[in-house]
Amino acid sequence: MHDAECTIEINDLTFAYRTTPVLREVQCAIKPGAVGLLGPNGSGKTTMLRAILGQLPLPPDRVRVGGYDMSKHARAGRRLLGWMPERGGIIPGFSGVALTAYLGELSGLPRQDAMQRAHEVLHFVGLRDERYRPCETYSQGMRQRLKLAGALVHDPQWLLLDEPTSGLDPGGRAAMLELVADLAGRKGLGVILSTHLLADVEAVCREILVLKEGRLLARQSVSTGELHGRHVFEIAGFGGEAAFVEALKRLAVEVHRDGRHIAALLDVDKLPAGLGSTTARAVRALLELAAACDYAPRRLRRRPVTLADEFHSLIKPEAR
Amino acid sequence: MPVHERGYTHWRPTGLRPDPVWWVIARRGWTGAWRHRWTLLLLFVAWVPAVVKGAIIFVKAKAGQLLELAVGGQWTSITPSGFLAFLEGQRFFVFLFTMILGAGLIARDRRDNGLALYFSRPLGLADYLLGKTLVVLGGYLAVTLAPVLLLCLFAYLIDPGATGVELLLMTPLRALLFCSLTGAGLSLVLLALSSLATRTVLVVVWWAVLCLGGEMVGAIGEGIGLAGLQYANVLGHWHNAGSLLMGAEPRLPVPPLASLALCALAVIAALAILRARIRPVEVVS
Repeated sequence: MHDAECTIEINDLTFAYRTTPVLREVQCAIKPGAVGLLGPNGSGKTTMLRAILGQLPLPPDRVRVGGYDMSKHARAGRRLLGWMPERGGIIPGFSGVALTAYLGELSGLPRQDAMQRAHEVLHFVGLRDERYRPCETYSQGMRQRLKLAGALVHDPQWLLLDEPTSGLDPGGRAAMLELVADLAGRKGLGVILSTHLLADVEAVCREILVLKEGRLLARQSVSTGELHGRHVFEIAGFGGEAAFVEALKRLAVEVHRDGRHIAALLDVDKLPAGLGSTTARAVRALLELAAACDYAPRRLRRRPVTLADEFHSLIKPEAR
Repeated sequence: MPVHERGYTHWRPTGLRPDPVWWVIARRGWTGAWRHRWTLLLLFVAWVPAVVKGAIIFVKAKAGQLLELAVGGQWTSITPSGFLAFLEGQRFFVFLFTMILGAGLIARDRRDNGLALYFSRPLGLADYLLGKTLVVLGGYLAVTLAPVLLLCLFAYLIDPGATGVELLLMTPLRALLFCSLTGAGLSLVLLALSSLATRTVLVVVWWAVLCLGGEMVGAIGEGIGLAGLQYANVLGHWHNAGSLLMGAEPRLPVPPLASLALCALAVIAALAILRARIRPVEVVS
């Protein structure tokens, strides 16, 4: 039976590989639902998933899954977890269905149940006749689906997905996200989606945890409500770009580079004093500021703030 | 709500009892190995000496001691000492079978990130190790204990009066104990080597150097009269220590107790290596 209160609790979690700290004082409680674990490469996302799985030597009471302390009762806790790793996750020599059934048996399913479940979950993830082929002959998309089937076979309460769309083409990515969204939204499974692809998180998750250099920087809802009122002015141009960015920063405007654009994040209800009180005035002020800095804008566009903007502003070098 | 949906369904337990995890791992290892035709062929070849010995036992029972004198040696006798000699003669097949079954068992898991996959499931180090050890031990027993037991039964059936209960009970028990301990010990040593590599071929080379190389050094030592070189004979030490259990003459010019101590040390070292190397995460503080 699925427990609506099967919570993952992380308490003052600090961990280092040899002398390199990877997680620092992470503290949070995650309730069932879809949660995105965001962060740049090396921010500690995979290590956090491994800590939840009880794979790291941790002191007692740092990670609890469904009430089980993973440093002492990892076996019981792991029955509640299904893990889809980014690397590996496939043991050559098995057919797809044999590997999935094997993982089911390793997770405590009786032999017959494991085989039946293997067929069910492989059907669910969209592997049909291919399930009898040796899994080392699978394409990248099929491998990802097989790994998801392996994570689901014992019907866990939580799915820990590490970069599930890695290496997939746009069609495969959309299909994978649809499966995950279905599991989280309609089947009642908790999902922790670790990725650096913001669009994946926006498609599936209700809230995000942002990690940077092992610290939990922010925890916020993905709903557009919280972002309402904030807008981005994207400016592309040439000339004195550095001076223009510095001038914006002096006005306390949040700025980040987005490809060839300079993105200035502004709350239109609370514009900085130097930019006037209305959007129209803010635009004029921005153009005047650009001219003063010898920066020649070629294009200026206004758009609502996205999760990507929030993420960039959180992980920019000076944040924390 | 969709009109029709064949989507994800939760598992409904059927009430069947799950197999222990170590048994699941061992079963998978055996089925994976015996699937190959050449493994079965090799097993067939490994049984040829047992068939030959069985034939000699049969003829000897019918033709008396004359044949034993003709063939000569302990190898043909149906005493515990004779069976130890038979087991010693099987050491090349022991080397081959343990290598085929065990060399890649942990190395492949390390290469394919399989350890992390195993330890994301509800199992512990003991389950994993027991399952993998049983895979190698199964191969070892298939070419050692199984023919010995069948030969004991065969010898008893064709001439029940020859050695009576000793042949039917004590010799099989001694062989069971010896083969189980030796097989488990060798399996752990091989698995320890396997845990040190990510390439099976490397483990094969190490295992060949340890088994065949050790034996060659021992043979050279015997040839030039240097008894100290016998300490390099890795497989020989197991049989030498086994002579205590089987009530036979020592197989090497080394005290059997010294061999026993060396075997025990090898197992302890193997366990220490396995404990250090088998973990879901490569580098931890």
